Amino acid sequence: MGDAEKRPWVGYAFLAPSLVGVVGFLVAPVVVVAVMSLYRWDLVSPARWVGTANYRVVLTDPALIRSLAVTALFVVIVVPAQTGLGLCTALLLDRRLPGSVVFRAIFVVPWISAPLALGVVWRWILDPSDGALDALLGQRVEWLTSPGLALPAVAAVTVWTNVGYVALFFLAGLAGIPGQYREAARIDGAGSWQTLRLVTLPLLRPTTFFVLTTGLIAAFQTFDTVYAMTRGGPGGRTDVIASLIYREAFTSFRMGRAAAMSVLLFLLLITVTVAQQRYFRRRTTYEVA
Amino acid sequence: MVRTTITYLTLVAGAVLTLAPYLLSVQTSVKTPAQFAAESPLAPPSPVSTAAYAELVVGGHSLIPPLVITVQVVILVVVGQLTCSVLAAYAFARLEFPGRDAVFRLYLATLMVPVVATVVPRFVIVSELGLRDTFAGLVLPALFGSPYAVFLLRQFFRGIPGELVDAACLDGAGHPRVLWHVVLPLSRPVLATLVIITAVTHWNDFLWPLVVTSGERWRVLTVAVAALQSQFAGNWTLVTAATTLATLPLLVLFLVFQKHIVRSITITGMR
Repeated sequence: MGDAEKRPWVGYAFLAPSLVGVVGFLVAPVVVVAVMSLYRWDLVSPARWVGTANYRVVLTDPALIRSLAVTALFVVIVVPAQTGLGLCTALLLDRRLPGSVVFRAIFVVPWISAPLALGVVWRWILDPSDGALDALLGQRVEWLTSPGLALPAVAAVTVWTNVGYVALFFLAGLAGIPGQYREAARIDGAGSWQTLRLVTLPLLRPTTFFVLTTGLIAAFQTFDTVYAMTRGGPGGRTDVIASLIYREAFTSFRMGRAAAMSVLLFLLLITVTVAQQRYFRRRTTYEVA
Repeated sequence: MVRTTITYLTLVAGAVLTLAPYLLSVQTSVKTPAQFAAESPLAPPSPVSTAAYAELVVGGHSLIPPLVITVQVVILVVVGQLTCSVLAAYAFARLEFPGRDAVFRLYLATLMVPVVATVVPRFVIVSELGLRDTFAGLVLPALFGSPYAVFLLRQFFRGIPGELVDAACLDGAGHPRVLWHVVLPLSRPVLATLVIITAVTHWNDFLWPLVVTSGERWRVLTVAVAALQSQFAGNWTLVTAATTLATLPLLVLFLVFQKHIVRSITITGMR
């Protein structure tokens, strides 16, 4: 620490602009959303105090229950798939064959593009009459309008978007493992599968934790892709929680209920984060700084 | 040898799968609607038509106004975020003041707040400020920086040797000068990283602009593309031209700064 700054206001002067943003648009919203959830309000007529009625309505609302199930299923497909495929991609790239850098760059391209635009592109590709995929398959498949296929299709597009991004983190993690560890395993006669399972994967645990946590939190909040591809349909089969909150607030104008749903999402994500941290702290036996 | 071949085949398959949607949409965007309606969606364009792009650039559904607004939003947010976050990070890293650690813990806690859960209350706050459907409403929530950027910069600033800062202070430099002449020049890599990540995030942002704007006046690119998709359902030559135009600027940027962007993503882990 540099000099002993004796004027405390200097620190707050530096902090002030950022603090306005953090308090105004991160802390205040948490308070506002909690208060809003106790009112009935359509944005036009005056808000009316209803106590916990919104929570009672929302928690027994089939739409929310279905949405939570849809979101959970979406997360359960997307997170393991993108983590697994990302790891495999990273292991292939980590062999550092000539041209690996080009492949690495190509795989990141979808992550640079707006999820909304990519969702629109895939909405076309999966279109049963005009789309590229069914033309390629020579068969008409209603990817986005049949109840069983819509969610897997949206999940697949999300995975497609994220694999390269996830691979980047595993690549960085792999680069952080000292070469002699894997070398030693090989000298001791371990095959490449054993080396991967017994040496590489345990040492990658901090990366895996990071990728799973951020992936989970992002997947729980998916909106753009769903909006572009299905708007929550068919029959709510892709109606993830963000999509439901959006509709509740901005097409049905039930602000109180939307706020109650937001609070529930907030609590859900905090629980997930804390649980994940606990779990990994217990399981992480190797400390790689 | 066999392993190398399999590795390459897998990588090539992955690359094809990654790029195919882009190439297919470019191909579709240069077809005439007549050809698109008559032939297979996979058929090569003949004749090549730039009518869709003309419509989206100089025609009645120009994407130029949304492009201009998007660029303005991105520039303002990048400059605002960087300025505010640098100042705050300097305070956390180099200054002592009462309550510093408590405020920093508050910043850390806000990292847990999910964006989607704040959209509804943010909308209410911005509405109460009278900024619904205004440019200010579009920019304001992101203008003052993110706790994540502060966190990242603070880490970096703490790594700068104290002697450098002390020497400057002994020479009589105040904090603004130390920050400007000593700390910032040493922080170029992390600043570049933040510029890139912030620009990409806000270029691609959709939910907030969708919520806070209502008419055509303040439409950003993503919202304009979504509107085109609804308005011209089934007119895929026009819609794919729109998605191509909306994604192109960042792809060009990516081609130029590929290495740096890839590194930035791993440094910040931000989306």
